Amino acid sequence: MSSSQPGGITRRFLPHSRLGAPALLIAGFLGLAVVIVLTVWGQSIAGFDPGKQNLTDRLLPPGADGHLLGTDKLGKDIFARVAAGFRWSIPVALLATAISASIGTTIGVIAGWNEGWIRSSLSRFMEVAISFPYLVLAVAIIGVVGRGFFALSLSLGLVAWVSFARVIYAETRRVKEREYVMAARLMGMGALRIILTYIGRGIRPTLVVMCAFIFADLLVAEAGLSFLGLGASLRDPTWGNMLSDSRINLFEAPWMMYGPASAVILTVLTANMIGDGLLQYWGRGTHQQ
Amino acid sequence: MILVVSISTLLFFMLRVTGDPALVLAGDLSTDEDLARIRSFYGLDKPLIIQYILFIWQALRLNFGKSLVSFEDAMGLVLEKMPATVELALAAILLNLVVALLVGAWLGYRPQRIDRRIGLFGVLVSQGIPGFVIGLILIQVFAVHLKVLPSIGNQGLHSLILPSITLASFMLPRVIRLTAANVDEAMREDYVRTARASGATSRIVLFRHVLPNTLVGTLALIGVQFGFLLSGSLITETLFAWPGVGLQLIEAVRALDFPVVQATVAVVAVLVFVVQAVVDALIPLVDPRLRSRRV
Repeated sequence: MSSSQPGGITRRFLPHSRLGAPALLIAGFLGLAVVIVLTVWGQSIAGFDPGKQNLTDRLLPPGADGHLLGTDKLGKDIFARVAAGFRWSIPVALLATAISASIGTTIGVIAGWNEGWIRSSLSRFMEVAISFPYLVLAVAIIGVVGRGFFALSLSLGLVAWVSFARVIYAETRRVKEREYVMAARLMGMGALRIILTYIGRGIRPTLVVMCAFIFADLLVAEAGLSFLGLGASLRDPTWGNMLSDSRINLFEAPWMMYGPASAVILTVLTANMIGDGLLQYWGRGTHQQ
Repeated sequence: MILVVSISTLLFFMLRVTGDPALVLAGDLSTDEDLARIRSFYGLDKPLIIQYILFIWQALRLNFGKSLVSFEDAMGLVLEKMPATVELALAAILLNLVVALLVGAWLGYRPQRIDRRIGLFGVLVSQGIPGFVIGLILIQVFAVHLKVLPSIGNQGLHSLILPSITLASFMLPRVIRLTAANVDEAMREDYVRTARASGATSRIVLFRHVLPNTLVGTLALIGVQFGFLLSGSLITETLFAWPGVGLQLIEAVRALDFPVVQATVAVVAVLVFVVQAVVDALIPLVDPRLRSRRV
């Protein structure tokens, strides 16, 4: 296997990397502000109930009768549904990120701290598991555990932890070689205490950056699974469901996809920019994909 | 193989934890006698650990039983759909190589220029656009408005165009970024300076010296990301009703057809392994420096 790791690509393109970070962070936090506004006040901006059907106003184009983004095939206001999607899709992705971060960090630290057979078998397993298509696995797990909010978060969390584990593993090994860890060991500090204090603090920046990137990936995965009809239940207002609806009505109402598509793109870009910005600000090449 | 066993194990126990498979198979209207018959037919009346050992034994021989829907051999069903998926994946990989090398060379050749920076920012933004959104936009433009390309099914070469572009878009931004970074790096190498000093034009340097060296990294990334590409093919195949393994998997999950699901997972794991082995074997062919290092 090749060892080419594109970590720090962006930095190479922005020669004054410290100048790039604030720009990315500002753009990222602006995006975050928009996301928060839409999450909290989106419903009232829309002025319609996302669940209310109105069969006389089916498939209206954007702007008609006060519907900012038009209506879907049951006459529901699309803007209100997109806004409701923020409250559905973001918590799913957050919960899934939390699950995979917990599993991944635990396994990554264990593999990085211990030497010998624990490390070699765990790192071998991670190497194999990372190359497996995560969506195939998620779909298979969903087939077993069913659909809905928690099943979706769980299956996404169970497939994404390997990315965390691999990076945290490398970080743990790096931090473990530091003098202060060595000093703590020589002073007779217990392994668990060193891990919780020094290692934990050492890997924290990496963990935060990884969370931002994985959140973005999982948000797309959630939208994709719902789009396939395997994520949320069909009544839930998720962007994936809305995009799936828009595919059915592609000929009569091509505008239906713009709202949910922009919501996905806005949220993903926001998370990616914050992640990239923090990465450059802290000056490390962690996101090695 | 380790992966097939561990994923099968995970699925096996999750399936048992979440409920009685016999109940799922028989449906809500079944009597106790029906359930007993189904249990003995599928070996569900044996102790769990025996069931598990039998299951893993069968899984290692790549035998996952018959489809619960069509009663055909699950493995056969999956292998039957394989060529369509491989065709689509190969088209997407080819597209990735061509586009990434061209765009990457353009971006990485003079990375400081303002148009290249804007281009790179565009690539960065496009990384945030989910593949199925790109697919929907493509369908809208080419199938709905222009009516030049079909949007569903597989009816010859022209129906491969939209799905392969969609599938390629799942990994294209990443591959372009890597290629651009590699070109940028390669341009600063000594051999480039030597070539320039001996009178080669910049175009010759780029195409004769820099790009072949970049190909290694691009190829390696495509190999590593192949699993990601297969994830994308689930969505792409559903979007375009492309009759491949991905579409079949989605339908099998909807129908709770577990043998087909497990056979698909096993085949995909083997496929990923084979592709990585092929890429590992190809890289020394492209890069003579790595040949001597082969063991």
